[in-house]
Amino acid sequence: MPTVAADPGPFTFDLDSTALIVIDMQRDFLLPGGFGESLGNDVAQLRRTIAPLAALLAAWRAAGLPVIHTREGHLPDLSDCPPAKLKRGSMIGQPGTFGKILIRGEYGHDIVDELQPLPGEPVVDKPGKGAFYATNLDELLRETKTLIVTGVTTEVCVHTTVREANDRGYECLVLSDCVGSYFPEFQSVGLRMIAAQGGIFGWVSESSALLKEITR
Amino acid sequence: MPTIGSVRANPYPWPYDGTVQVSRTALICIDWQTDFCGPGGYVDAMGYDIELTRAGLPATAKLLQHVRDLGMLVIHTREGHDPDLSDLPANKRWRSARIGAEIGGPGPCGRILIKGEPGWEIVPEVAPVPGEVIIDKPGKGAFYATNLDLVLRTHGITHLILTGITTDVCVHTTMREANDRGYECLILSDCTGATDPGNHAAALHMVTMQGGVFGCVATSDDVIAATGA
Repeated sequence: MPTVAADPGPFTFDLDSTALIVIDMQRDFLLPGGFGESLGNDVAQLRRTIAPLAALLAAWRAAGLPVIHTREGHLPDLSDCPPAKLKRGSMIGQPGTFGKILIRGEYGHDIVDELQPLPGEPVVDKPGKGAFYATNLDELLRETKTLIVTGVTTEVCVHTTVREANDRGYECLVLSDCVGSYFPEFQSVGLRMIAAQGGIFGWVSESSALLKEITR
Repeated sequence: MPTIGSVRANPYPWPYDGTVQVSRTALICIDWQTDFCGPGGYVDAMGYDIELTRAGLPATAKLLQHVRDLGMLVIHTREGHDPDLSDLPANKRWRSARIGAEIGGPGPCGRILIKGEPGWEIVPEVAPVPGEVIIDKPGKGAFYATNLDLVLRTHGITHLILTGITTDVCVHTTMREANDRGYECLILSDCTGATDPGNHAAALHMVTMQGGVFGCVATSDDVIAATGA
């Protein structure tokens, strides 16, 4: 079984029960001129994940391993958006550069060109930060024990999903160069929290270490 | 009927909808267990400074008395597993063993994190009184594999005030779960704590980003000051 160097210790897993999850690599969060940038965020902090993630995706697909994508978003009538979320994020559903912000079916809600899902790859649409709540992700993972976790943002949707997965007994390996935060401070502390106390939520490594194992 | 709000909070006056009736609000006290914050518990025995996890106890005890007098719903949670370990994921057991505190193994206050053991009980300073809800949870989050959501909906609760330990692990996981479910959350900086002060501060800061991505941060005095008739 492959083993990769990781924090807090070597991480061993079985490729037959491992899936790659790519969280919320959506245009609304990543494209210059989009929703994320309009909030004053530096999208370059997220965009640096695209190249390593595209390389990993290519190798992962070439090895015939499963990929799951997620998107955060809401129905056009906002009936799945809690009032407390809508009030705080009052731009949700409003017209933006790439269509109505965070609304399913809009251009900005979809995944960036470089990481577009292939036919047959599941795309989980989620109304919250966590990918397990109010979705069928747990059902999709019936054969899965290990999750390779990538996407954005590290301390919000990636962290929430890793916490949910960990409580459900999945082992999570988070790839530091394939997850991103608008805030460098939260990128580092977010990764540190995952590996703290003996790996309380999982393990942290880099895509280069994993690539070596799957391209053997 | 007494109300709460607006509470002086970061990043906006809490709650988002101005004021909330006490009857629609619950105080959640997360994992104030001897093993995590009691003298002689396993965190203590591992050599951590339990003053860090105990720091929020006096303020939480005072707030508890205040909200009990108001008639607010109080919910306590405990992290723990069945004695036969049938609800303990294999990786959680493996990791706990690796750091010298194997769940189910012998600890200074009974088997570590096993239901019914002395170390698993809530410390006396903030112990439940009869009639208060206790949620036993196998994970870090209080919603996964528990009836917390059902209890809150049955009581008509829409707003949560969170206390407990540790800030970055069980409190944050529960706050994230609650936020996704549409509950309006307030975490109290003086009623929480972590084994790593840096993680405590970062976890509170994360809540306040992007207009309050998970809710708001305030102190217990802010809550008490914002309680009216």
